[in-house]
Amino acid sequence: MRQYVLRRLLVAIPSLLIASVIVFSLPRLIPGDVVQLMLEEKAYAKDLDSLRAKLGLDRPLHVQYFEWLGRVARGDLGESLWTRRPVIAELWSRLPVSLELGLLALGFALVMAVPVGIVSATRQDTLADYAARSMAILGLSVPGFWIATLVVLLPAIWWGWSPPIHFTEFSKDPWAHVSQFLLPAFILALASAAAVMRLTRAMLLEVLRQDYVRTAWAKGLRERIVVFKHSLKNALIPVITVLGIQVAQILGGTVIFESIFGLPGMGRFLFDAINQRDYPVIQGVNLLIVSVVVLINLVVDAAYAWLDPRIRY
Amino acid sequence: MTPTTPGLMDLTRRDLLRLGGAALAGAALATGPRPVAAQTPKRGGTITLRMWDPPHFDHMLTISYKTHGVLGFTHSRLLKHKAGPGVVPGTFPIEGDLAESWSQPNDTTYVFKLRRGVRFHPKPPVNGRELTAEDVRYTIERFLTVKGNANAYMLKDLDKVEVLDTHTIKFTLKQPFAWFLDMLANPIATGIIAKEVVDKYGDLKKHESVIGTGPWMLDSYRPNVGLTLVRNPHYFVPGLPYIDRVEIIVDEDNASRMAAFLAGKYDVGWEFPGVINRTDWVQIKDTLKQKRPTLKLQEFPANVMGHISMRADQKPFSDVRVRRAMSLAIDRQGILDAVAEGVGVMNPPVPAALKDWALPVSQLGEGAKYYKYDPKEAKRLLAEAGYPSGFPGTICFATYGSTVVVDSAQLVIKYFKDVGIDAKLEQKEYGAYVSTCFYGNFPSMAFGPQTPFLEPDNFLFGQYYPGERKNQSHSNDPVVADMLVRQRRTMDPAKRREIIHEIQRYLATQQYYVQLASGVYIGVWDGALKNYGSNLGYDYGGRLMAAWLDR
Repeated sequence: MRQYVLRRLLVAIPSLLIASVIVFSLPRLIPGDVVQLMLEEKAYAKDLDSLRAKLGLDRPLHVQYFEWLGRVARGDLGESLWTRRPVIAELWSRLPVSLELGLLALGFALVMAVPVGIVSATRQDTLADYAARSMAILGLSVPGFWIATLVVLLPAIWWGWSPPIHFTEFSKDPWAHVSQFLLPAFILALASAAAVMRLTRAMLLEVLRQDYVRTAWAKGLRERIVVFKHSLKNALIPVITVLGIQVAQILGGTVIFESIFGLPGMGRFLFDAINQRDYPVIQGVNLLIVSVVVLINLVVDAAYAWLDPRIRY
Repeated sequence: MTPTTPGLMDLTRRDLLRLGGAALAGAALATGPRPVAAQTPKRGGTITLRMWDPPHFDHMLTISYKTHGVLGFTHSRLLKHKAGPGVVPGTFPIEGDLAESWSQPNDTTYVFKLRRGVRFHPKPPVNGRELTAEDVRYTIERFLTVKGNANAYMLKDLDKVEVLDTHTIKFTLKQPFAWFLDMLANPIATGIIAKEVVDKYGDLKKHESVIGTGPWMLDSYRPNVGLTLVRNPHYFVPGLPYIDRVEIIVDEDNASRMAAFLAGKYDVGWEFPGVINRTDWVQIKDTLKQKRPTLKLQEFPANVMGHISMRADQKPFSDVRVRRAMSLAIDRQGILDAVAEGVGVMNPPVPAALKDWALPVSQLGEGAKYYKYDPKEAKRLLAEAGYPSGFPGTICFATYGSTVVVDSAQLVIKYFKDVGIDAKLEQKEYGAYVSTCFYGNFPSMAFGPQTPFLEPDNFLFGQYYPGERKNQSHSNDPVVADMLVRQRRTMDPAKRREIIHEIQRYLATQQYYVQLASGVYIGVWDGALKNYGSNLGYDYGGRLMAAWLDR
């Protein structure tokens, strides 16, 4: 197992390197130039070249890339081109908000998806199954930002209630702090919950048709034992893999949801940085997200091997 | 021409009610002065506003309203615009801010007497020290010399600033400039700062450097979340401001801020400057009537004016018949119907919103007819100019992130096509657009909104004087140039107004730019907010300074 984890760690390095090339180059492909944007704010176009040189954007891209990579290796993600503040410091102050939102959403997704998936599989082709599957289709096909817009607007129109608009620190008011995450996390969880629920159902159905499960039924075991003890663990192995992918989706979703619900996390930070073509910030946030996803996948793979002793690489 | 939607300058209270104000029962509707309620102001309370996250806090290193809007609360200027329910929106009467009085011994000299006992906010490194004429001199000189101040041109006629004594300062101009006092009063120009602060921080970009002599002090700032301002206990007008705290919330999602406003979480409209746009208004006015029945309402035209500029120095636009045809080809009311619920004002060369200076389109004389929608006449003029089948061209354009701008541009293309002008939109990213097309660097045509200035000089001198950076149409008309200089040299406002009217009448015949209509803002605020009146411009702080909360 230890050897397997070590091997996976080694594989993660080239993944991260490839990702870093993409993370570095993609922002440069967005139409629009940070220097022109900055000069619009300052409007002295004759200094275009000098500003480009001052920001270090005049050198060949590969030179900029290797310099950036060198700094990243030393734990320095550079400075925001606009505020001149270190990206790493900005990230640390925003990471907790996004983590809180993401973890809460993941929690909601699991709590919604697994039990419903089990009911749906064990009560196949019943009303409960149809209802669960319909809800899942709805969750997958309706965009989260549209649901969020309705959830924000309709209560205001009907009851004059709107979600909290002012971000509150946990230390100041714990309940106000947590409550402002509940709604966005729930909506953010819907699409993931739908995907996980469908997979849970499909996997459980497959396992429930296996010979050893039939044997368990034949022995007269109670349904609870057959489902939870004999079937679920095996059925959940692919589900855990999918959960790793859902983490990436949830992290991506924070960009929109933090904007709608006024949460000062990494998503908002990234959104503003893209609008302003703030390359070091875009690169820093994306690199962090990529690293988290790679790490989660590593954990998922390790869990996969642990859950199923037959899996040996 | 008589526009199908009348200019608000011409509107009566009854007209305004018809336009949509009637939706709010009991709302206080007016474009004219209203008597201040005879109530004793109450001290205290918190007002909550939705604004934007400033890119930084150095008002001389940005043209962003996001910065200037916030500093209106914290910084004083020498002069300011009067505010309150007595001021007609679109007019900007000047009064002293830090200046107690001023005189103009001759056309190029101004002497200001400063108030005594004005103190900076009690924060390091100034720690509440008294403001002197030296601070004003330092501020003006930094405004003119700091590299990157895009607004420095506003005071470019200034020759020197001299401190006569601790409380007296003299400005000498290179030549007479009638708009000088307006420039000093403009909230996007010269908020007075202290040298120690710039010395300590290098510039004023950090929020810690927000130190002025204004009615509120910056208490806290969190990026993407908001700002909290608290009452300056040493503000130089005794008793003001009445409101203790101003909570500025950064809320970038339209649905969320609309919901928050419906739920009563914002005290004034969420768009700038304290308004709701008409499309949102039409959607929520009935709900608002139930949820916030005491809401106050004031409608006035927006000073954001879109126009089509063109290379008037090159064919085919050098032919006045072509330019007139382009104007006749556009159905301005059709665009308003599509993008602004059909309500707006027709703009002459000076936006109709600037009530003191704009001429109603119907009074533009001979040129008024070119503001009509008459595609047949447009085709005739094009044929007469030698373009019977029209001509091809491109329109440089940026979306500004606004569906209104995008929809308007697409309609412009359609109207041009109807008369044979085959124009294609050449979309640029915003920064690229501003650094090229906004400053006249385009091959054929450009379309976009103009900066919402508060006086006509920027719309006229800036856009039409030969060689000016914002002369996007590259117009070079000696008749206009002469009148533009003359209005700048004429100190008597009545005579200056006559010249500005004359300029507009002449420009209407020449059509160097095709002006489009502007929408109508709906200023809204909570019934508990007293002694407040909406207006154009960035000076939120100035308008709230003498307002108070009755709750």
